[in-house]
Amino acid sequence: MNQLDTAGIRSIVGRFPTTRDEDWKYTDLAPARDISLRWLDAGATPPAVAGDREVTALTSEIDAHWFVIANGTLTRRPDATGVTIGQLPATDRNDDALAELNAALLREGLRIQVSGTPDKPLGLLFIDTADSVAVSQARVELVLAAHSDVDLVEYHVSQGHAEHFANTELRIDIADHARLRHVRIQSRDRNHVQTAATAITLGRDSSLNMTGFDLGGRLIRNDLDIELAQKGAAAVFDGLYLAGDDQHIDNHTRVDHLVGPAVSRQEYRGILNGRCRCVWNGKVIVHEGADGTDGDQANHNLVLSEKAEIDTKPELEIYADDVKCSHGTTVGQLDETALFYLRSRGLDRRHATQVLTHAFAAGLVSRIPVAAAIQLAEKLVIARLADLIDDPVRNDVTA
Amino acid sequence: MLEIKDLKSRIGDTEILRGLSLSVNAGEVHAIMGPNGSGKSTLAQVIAGHEDYEVTGGSVTYKGRDLLELDPEIRAREGIFLGFQYPVEIPGVNNAYLLKAALNAKRKHRGEPEIDAFEFLKTAKERMASLGMDPKFLHRGVNEGFSGGEKKRNEILQMAMLEPELAILDETDSGLDIDALKAVAAGVNALRSPERAIILVTHYQRLLDYIQPDFVHVLSGGRIIRSGDKSLALELEAKGYDWVREAVAT
Repeated sequence: MNQLDTAGIRSIVGRFPTTRDEDWKYTDLAPARDISLRWLDAGATPPAVAGDREVTALTSEIDAHWFVIANGTLTRRPDATGVTIGQLPATDRNDDALAELNAALLREGLRIQVSGTPDKPLGLLFIDTADSVAVSQARVELVLAAHSDVDLVEYHVSQGHAEHFANTELRIDIADHARLRHVRIQSRDRNHVQTAATAITLGRDSSLNMTGFDLGGRLIRNDLDIELAQKGAAAVFDGLYLAGDDQHIDNHTRVDHLVGPAVSRQEYRGILNGRCRCVWNGKVIVHEGADGTDGDQANHNLVLSEKAEIDTKPELEIYADDVKCSHGTTVGQLDETALFYLRSRGLDRRHATQVLTHAFAAGLVSRIPVAAAIQLAEKLVIARLADLIDDPVRNDVTA
Repeated sequence: MLEIKDLKSRIGDTEILRGLSLSVNAGEVHAIMGPNGSGKSTLAQVIAGHEDYEVTGGSVTYKGRDLLELDPEIRAREGIFLGFQYPVEIPGVNNAYLLKAALNAKRKHRGEPEIDAFEFLKTAKERMASLGMDPKFLHRGVNEGFSGGEKKRNEILQMAMLEPELAILDETDSGLDIDALKAVAAGVNALRSPERAIILVTHYQRLLDYIQPDFVHVLSGGRIIRSGDKSLALELEAKGYDWVREAVAT
């Protein structure tokens, strides 16, 4: 990285979106601004990179061709047939302040091209270590060649208990007739802030099947933009977020149906307990001429605490004629009838609550499209849920 | 075993039980019959501890303890089992998990070790075979997508595994075809023993052809208006509930 233009970075940070911006109405990036400025004040030193042993412990959980991106630097790359690895050219960005920050601070961008059917899933491990206040950027471009068939595991973790702000960008191009199965697991430390922009473009008769999990983090903002650019494209994506005290998890999705026929389906589920806030905003835009669009979006929330807050909003803009679009959102509490049924079988209220919340989450876990990732995702979801439900201070359901 | 005295209960502003008394001893099978809305299901729910039903008077003593002050899960662990009229579907929780969790909750309550996984599977499969249930049901979501008959068999399976001291079966016979009815009755009869008591809540006499009750009670307007032996059920079947109501009124 060249000599850091500290004043320039400060100016970018000053232009971060605020709650006055419509897309950021419910998510205040103040913690990201604050971390960035304190990091600059402290000399903007690159954070320490995770040790090999920690990385190996994580990557050994799933048998995959792992790329390890530690604090934004590629520290491990696989050697796999059909996978070409390159560097992204540096670019100036001015689309928004977060993209600008990414471009200004990025140490190296990774470009991965895949053809054919790799023998194992590709893994992207984003690991951020913060022993003192830190900021990191990562940028990955994944290009799936026509007719390729790929499993992808994207895993975000963090270490160290200092505050960290990770700003990541992932761009995926799925060429004609290619298929991508994608699992995304975000299991960051509760001191960490992440803004993650993911943009996926689908070609003719291509497909995306994706399940995402947001289990950790203090402030998490995911922007998932999907472009159905060619006829016959199908994007099916689901997400689960589990939030407890002092967590803020925001999922903004946007699907652009540029042509038809094409299919998009999304279902996000959330379980909230304690003083937390979650946001789901699902926008589907059916552009002029995109006849034959079939779109569905759903967001279901289980709110276990009066202190938890959820803002859920489906947005549909249709500029074509022959379109089938639906949406549904729910916000509810535990089903008392089911709770009584379980208690009448001898399970106490807390156990019954755990069983029912787990079942609610399991509905999404069962859809994980990458077989190799099921066990890890299940393990992390169960552990997070146990923590979320079991803590008597956090949990005013059992009170 | 169970002593109900002058029990009064309401849900919301509606008074349903209006001074019900009933005494059930170990080894006995009681049938509680009555028209719709007479309070049969309310009685079952109150015994199991449903919090929507407020007890406004009277007492319920179970094995010498005040039952009404116990949480539903403690009642279950102490040996009370309610077979639901409408068993609840719980997608995502498999049957085996619930059975094991229920058994272990009871065992823990008694200071016993958790059930051995092999022993559990073996017993569950035996019980399922005798109920005519496919062992695959063990790994399906609790009652998820089950037919009416499958749900009722599943209730009986839970009962057979938990071996309750007091089983209350709420309209377990409703919606069953004859094969399912026989299987369910066989399951209940297998549980009969001098240490256990069974209360059958039913609208029709049909179930009692297969499970012979020691006592039959007629519930009407939230009270037991008549008690007798199993001939009372036959008489009811022939003459209808109005006959008892009229007989009591005069």
